[in-house]
Amino acid sequence: MQLSREALLRAYRQMKIIREFEERLHVEIQTGEIAGFTHLYCGQEAVAVGVCEHLSVEDKIVSTHRGHGHCLAKGCDVNGMMAEIWGSREGLCKGKGGSMHIADVELGMLGANGIVGAGSPIAVGAALAAKLDGRGPNGFRVAITFSGDGACNQGTTFEAMNLAVVTKAPCIFLFENNHYSEHTGFEYAVGTQRDIASRAEAFGMKVWRGDGTDFFSVHDTMREVLDYVRAGNGPAAVEFDTERFFGHFEGDPQRYRGPGELDRIRATRDCLKNFRTSVTGASLLSHADLDAVDVDALEAIENAVVAARAAARPTAEDVLADVYISY
Amino acid sequence: MSDIRPFCMPKWGIEMTEGTIAEWMVSEGQAFTRGQTLCLIETAKITNEVEAEYDAVVRKVLVGAGDEAQPVGTLLAVFADPAASEAEIEAFVAGFRPADTAVAAKQTEPENAPAPAAATPRKIVTNRPISAQALALAEAEGLDLAEVAGSGRQGRITHQDVQQALRPAARPALRGPAKIAAELETIFASPLARRIAALHGIDLAPIEGTGPRGRISKADVLSRLLAPAPAGTQPFVAGENRAEILSFDRIRKVVARRLTEAKQTIPHFYLRTSASADALMELRKTANLVLGCKASLNDYLIKATALALVRHPDVNVQVHGEELHRFPRADIAVAIASPKGLVTPVVRSADGMRIDQLAAETRRLIDKAQAGRLGFEDMEGGTFSVSNLGMFGIENFDAIINPPQGAILAIGAANRTACERGDGSIGFETRIGLTLSVDHRAIDGATGAEFLATLKNLIEAPEQLFA
Amino acid sequence: MAQMMYRDAVLSTIAEEMERDANVVVLGEDVVGGMGTAGGPEAIGGIWSTSTGLFGKFGADRVIDTPISESAIMGAAAGLALAGKRPVAELMFADFIGVSLDQIWNQMAKFRYMFGGKTKCPAVIRMAYGAGYNAAAQHSQSVHQILTGMPGLKVVMPSTPADVKGLLRTAIRDDDPVIFLEHKALYGTSGEVSDDPDFTIPFGHARLARAGEDVTIISTGLLLGFCVAVADKLAAEGIGCDVIDLRTTSPLDEEAILDSVEVTGRLVVVDEAPPRCGLAVDICALVARQAFASLKAPPQMVTPPHTPIPFARELESAYLPSTDKIEAAVRAVLAWR
Repeated sequence: MQLSREALLRAYRQMKIIREFEERLHVEIQTGEIAGFTHLYCGQEAVAVGVCEHLSVEDKIVSTHRGHGHCLAKGCDVNGMMAEIWGSREGLCKGKGGSMHIADVELGMLGANGIVGAGSPIAVGAALAAKLDGRGPNGFRVAITFSGDGACNQGTTFEAMNLAVVTKAPCIFLFENNHYSEHTGFEYAVGTQRDIASRAEAFGMKVWRGDGTDFFSVHDTMREVLDYVRAGNGPAAVEFDTERFFGHFEGDPQRYRGPGELDRIRATRDCLKNFRTSVTGASLLSHADLDAVDVDALEAIENAVVAARAAARPTAEDVLADVYISY
Repeated sequence: MSDIRPFCMPKWGIEMTEGTIAEWMVSEGQAFTRGQTLCLIETAKITNEVEAEYDAVVRKVLVGAGDEAQPVGTLLAVFADPAASEAEIEAFVAGFRPADTAVAAKQTEPENAPAPAAATPRKIVTNRPISAQALALAEAEGLDLAEVAGSGRQGRITHQDVQQALRPAARPALRGPAKIAAELETIFASPLARRIAALHGIDLAPIEGTGPRGRISKADVLSRLLAPAPAGTQPFVAGENRAEILSFDRIRKVVARRLTEAKQTIPHFYLRTSASADALMELRKTANLVLGCKASLNDYLIKATALALVRHPDVNVQVHGEELHRFPRADIAVAIASPKGLVTPVVRSADGMRIDQLAAETRRLIDKAQAGRLGFEDMEGGTFSVSNLGMFGIENFDAIINPPQGAILAIGAANRTACERGDGSIGFETRIGLTLSVDHRAIDGATGAEFLATLKNLIEAPEQLFA
Repeated sequence: MAQMMYRDAVLSTIAEEMERDANVVVLGEDVVGGMGTAGGPEAIGGIWSTSTGLFGKFGADRVIDTPISESAIMGAAAGLALAGKRPVAELMFADFIGVSLDQIWNQMAKFRYMFGGKTKCPAVIRMAYGAGYNAAAQHSQSVHQILTGMPGLKVVMPSTPADVKGLLRTAIRDDDPVIFLEHKALYGTSGEVSDDPDFTIPFGHARLARAGEDVTIISTGLLLGFCVAVADKLAAEGIGCDVIDLRTTSPLDEEAILDSVEVTGRLVVVDEAPPRCGLAVDICALVARQAFASLKAPPQMVTPPHTPIPFARELESAYLPSTDKIEAAVRAVLAWR
């Protein structure tokens, strides 16, 4: 289906924001200013945006440790996110969560998660809540769990799939196969050695597959998936093949990459380049349109970094805050 | 062979089971002579001097002044002549066995065994796991590790285990269980808030809790307490009235026990009269001058009582089970308030004493009581008791009989009252209230009444006291 | 005042709260029983009979039978809570926190904190715990000592039906994640319950079951009955015991414990969990640090030994605290020299 010019620009901008956000973090982390672990999403932007462009605030997503992309795609504030990664009191989580635990529950983003595979059962719970709320004008609201080729081996993933199937929960298991679970290759770690989607199929779910480096593949696939799930047919699973351009974590020497692999995937498997090629080729948008977005995105990230550096630091009292609502 | 003699805790009276050394007058190595005071021993009832019955040297003192109470028969010291060797003394101490079964019984109960008074350090060689500190302490105190159970892992002996083994058995003062509400608690207050509310009689129900978890806090209760009063009245805030807890001391315990028993088991009845005392008071002035003594009014009353008892021997009795012991002489126990509490030393054969002799005797006993030095022989026996609270303005009172006596006389204050003279006019006289408490098992109303009438007569016609 | 069984106190409170608030949802293994069988739904109503009839009343959407997948159940509870519902999830045996701890420990306990206080997780996780039925090492454990140490969780251990009603109601209405521990040997016991349909007991408020000024005895769950029996026996000898039933270990009623020890000076803590790094030492440390000057003797602990729970009847008896062991501990603390 044809997207409007506005929708296309919006989609591109979302992806570009994510790209610039992550690229900038890659640079900043090396100064030592940012504490803790960071896991960057560069290369996978088309998946997050291709999925989230279909979603409303009332649909829920649960993410992984590599969650910046999903957060931004779901509508989380760029400045708030940058400030959180900087550990500031003005961050989205008041400096209490950091990169791995960024969330904005009011926007339906139920958190990045530091435990691999932990998100799927939580998403099933959110889907059960949606089911309880009943069918709205657009059908059921959905909950989507983003997982990777790493999480697809966790027991929690299987338990969650089975529970979703038997309770017919409007839950979508969204697998981003970027071929590496930490430092181990997909072909070794995933016993089925074919793909992940077949596992979900075995659990009784309808599955879809797509190219995660092509925004349109993702977006079109998701339209079908969402129609299916919103109609109340129970859960579904989707597997998108994609690449991550950086290491598992920032600081990862990436010794598992083949020679020239990083250059090759940046050249041939870059979803932003692919998008540009597609839309300009079909004369839907011009290079100038896209360039303007590039500049705009870069500026937005620059502003976010400046703001994050200047933002208020948390105080010692903040340690004790918000453990309980009342105790 | 040298003469080594034990000095043990004496038994004074049937009831005594243990005593404390209050003070040593002699010390180790000191020689003493017969009649010399060796020490003061304190019991539940009295403190008494112990005099030497022979000449000797104090070779070893085993129980010190102020040490905890020892059962009757416990070896307190060893006396001998200088010729006895240290080894002989040690052997004597080691081999000593008390004759008294109470002590023997105590010594076979390991948890009640007192620690040895003088610890002899000795080296310990053991394979048992033990901490360095524990071993050092056990060696210093000469403790046999066989007596110690190790509380550490695999029976390891800790410093605490040794320290516990060296201490005498616990005798905690218990306060016992208390009552609590049976109903389900529906009002939630902090423990402190509850205590304060209870102290001031504040009802918790209407109070809104602003404390943590919505409990009623101390501040919530206090704000009730200090709620603004109508203008002009300063609210009185009662502070906490926390009781100071005083345990019964030895004497009070004995007094409590005996008097409770008396009140519960003796069928008391009371005979009340009063006597005109003007004549007696006049006579006292004269007689004291003549005799050169300072007999108190009470001394005269005691004399009168003694004479009355001799005339009414059925009142001068002790009750022993179903036996009456009727005495020919009046041994009158006089109630005296001493620093150690109520004591009742006996004025023996008061009926035979002249007033100045009686006064001297009461003086002597009062002084001894004030000094806490009443001896056992001062307190033993007594056929009748007299208690006088007149100096406090008490008009009359009912005393509790001191068993095994059959009766007790309570004397009140001498008060001026109006009376009818012989010629019908109103005059004033001094009257003294007399209440006789009588054991109805032993003495009937008429008997008691006759005694009292005689006493009254002796008081009102006091020249009979010198007959 | 009505008499009620412990298990019925659980059931009736859940039913009342589900009636009151449409967001309350129940899930767990066999909470209904019979799903997908010839016999049909409500084959059991919970293996402890604590969800009987709920399915019939509130339907499959709100009373959810789950496959045996504890991580998924606990995670679903976490997700339901984040999405605005009030789940009451059941872990059939507390021992199963082993297979699902991440969702409890790293997820629901930490959401509020990690997300900067901008969300809440009003989940109640009910668990059946405790020994006494010879269910052996993997079905008899206490877990309060592990969960109390996790910041972000509240841990509740009711001893009586009245406590169940008051505390479970508070738990369901509480917006923080609550672990509600029901001792399996208490399910069949009876007691007076309040007639007040809105009766709640606040967390962090211990109950004084017996009063006395000589020894403080701290108890939880099933052990309350033993402690009370010992206190009553010793009362006849003139020994007075404060028996404090904690009811919640997180938050803890520190004031009740300290105030009591300040009077008695003697502490005996009774706990069903093994001794290392547990509740008993937590309370002993609290008292040693904040009431040291009041102590007349070192505190005594009555706990099982540092072993798994054995099977044979006499072995389990020897393993668990008993009235004899509690009495010996009270006498020991009184015998301190």
